[in-house]
Amino acid sequence: MSTSPSSVRPMPFHERYPDLGTGPLPASPYLDPAYFEKEKENLFKKVWLHVGRVDEIPKKGDFFVKDLAACDASVIVVRADGGQVKAFHNVCSHRLNKVIYEERGRVRKFFCKFHGWAYDLDGRLSGVPDRDSFGELDESTLGLAEVACDVWEGFIFINMQPKPDMTLQEFMKPMFGGLEGYPFHKFTACYTWNTVVNANWKVALDAFQETYHVGFVHGRSIADSLSQTDDGYLHPLDGLCGEFHRRLSIAGNPASVYGNPGAVAGQDNTQSATGDGKRPIAATALRLGQGGTALSFSKDELPSGLNWTRHPDWAFDINVVFPEFYLSLRPTYYQAYNFRPISHNQTLFEARVYYPEMQTAGGRFYQEFMKVALRDVLLEDMGTLEHTQAAAQTRAKQWMVIQDHEIMVRHNAVVVDRMVESA
Amino acid sequence: MTPEQLPAGFAELEPYLEWALPTETQRNQRRVRSAQADVEAFANAILPRAEDIARLVDATPEPLPPSVENLFLMLLSLAEVAPAIESYGQPTVIDGYDSARFVADETHILRPSR
Repeated sequence: MSTSPSSVRPMPFHERYPDLGTGPLPASPYLDPAYFEKEKENLFKKVWLHVGRVDEIPKKGDFFVKDLAACDASVIVVRADGGQVKAFHNVCSHRLNKVIYEERGRVRKFFCKFHGWAYDLDGRLSGVPDRDSFGELDESTLGLAEVACDVWEGFIFINMQPKPDMTLQEFMKPMFGGLEGYPFHKFTACYTWNTVVNANWKVALDAFQETYHVGFVHGRSIADSLSQTDDGYLHPLDGLCGEFHRRLSIAGNPASVYGNPGAVAGQDNTQSATGDGKRPIAATALRLGQGGTALSFSKDELPSGLNWTRHPDWAFDINVVFPEFYLSLRPTYYQAYNFRPISHNQTLFEARVYYPEMQTAGGRFYQEFMKVALRDVLLEDMGTLEHTQAAAQTRAKQWMVIQDHEIMVRHNAVVVDRMVESA
Repeated sequence: MTPEQLPAGFAELEPYLEWALPTETQRNQRRVRSAQADVEAFANAILPRAEDIARLVDATPEPLPPSVENLFLMLLSLAEVAPAIESYGQPTVIDGYDSARFVADETHILRPSR
């Protein structure tokens, strides 16, 4: 790779991860339909993919269906007979109809609506109408096709390889073992939004894994809630690049409202957070939210993997579970996003935020304020995506230039390319 | 809307009853289709009463009577319009993605009921 102008100056992250290179990144992986076809075959059909949480299917027979375009698959995820979470291809063994049309629900058995074939919750074929007219039929071989499925900290993952190269634990532990014990179970109020955005999945994900854009894209909303350098830029506290995954740790501005944990953490920092009086609705939300939940939230109770630099102004960590699961953890709530590829220039963006259940009206008002603020910040982020894709697709530029604090964008491109070209 | 839509003591909020909407999607639609002046008039009217509303809702046993429910939903609309007033100075997000395309899943199993 040629040396880009940006690598002339000191680049601490890039010096730490010399294998990632320093040159400009080629544009074609974000634009090229043939590259996407290789991503599907060599990457998405070979890695663990997050599909939902165990809380979504608490009881036996609860199920949801995920259509995963990048895997050419529709997958049923179900709470099976023994309480285990299992996954099956949503394809009937008889004439290959979808067994389930609905997005989610609860069943005793799966019945195909075409000819009434029935499967139990473990996927075994349990009923064939007019059985005798089939003659020879070995039911034991005609169950639903199982998909590898496992759970990490309540998150359900599937893997399209019949025998995955590595277990989910082996996949997660090296980078994220230190997050185990985070109180995911306390965050039982989930808000979710979905959209199909006309942008490559890496364009979409990349917009969320650097802080360089914050002062520009979020200048009106939440830029002032993050810690800035003396010359007004947002630099992360630290970043970690692994074999697959990556992490970024971000400092907050303690004198701000958004992301301020005061209202539910029992710390009375309302004054410092809202002292300027410029945002009276924010100040009211923070004040009325005090004591909104009986649950306790303390930075001291978080697992050691969070805020690994132990910075006193730490606000949150961004964790990107390769390839496209973005998990941002804070002391009092967390965000879980998936950027599911549909085509080379279309992505299903599923955004979820998990808060604690609120017991007071003021707490619920605060939560609505925080949720709406987050949603509008997401609308700011997403506002760039289709413009970026459209501009990039003109092919006026063949390269993009990356600065040190955008190393996660580089890491993504490098790891994806390694897998795409490995087969 | 019929009379006694709001509890006694909140009559000054009656002109804003149309902000008593049960879902985020409806509250956002109303925000982005309103003139900024109307958004601000609503916020200016309800913000001084936010604490009273929260106190009344907490003191009222569930299920809330429709008049108290209306007040609570209007309080949630105040949260909905906050960015229009305190970040953007207009109903929609500046240079933002169309909120009508960013669809809230109101039926998600873990979503709070209101």
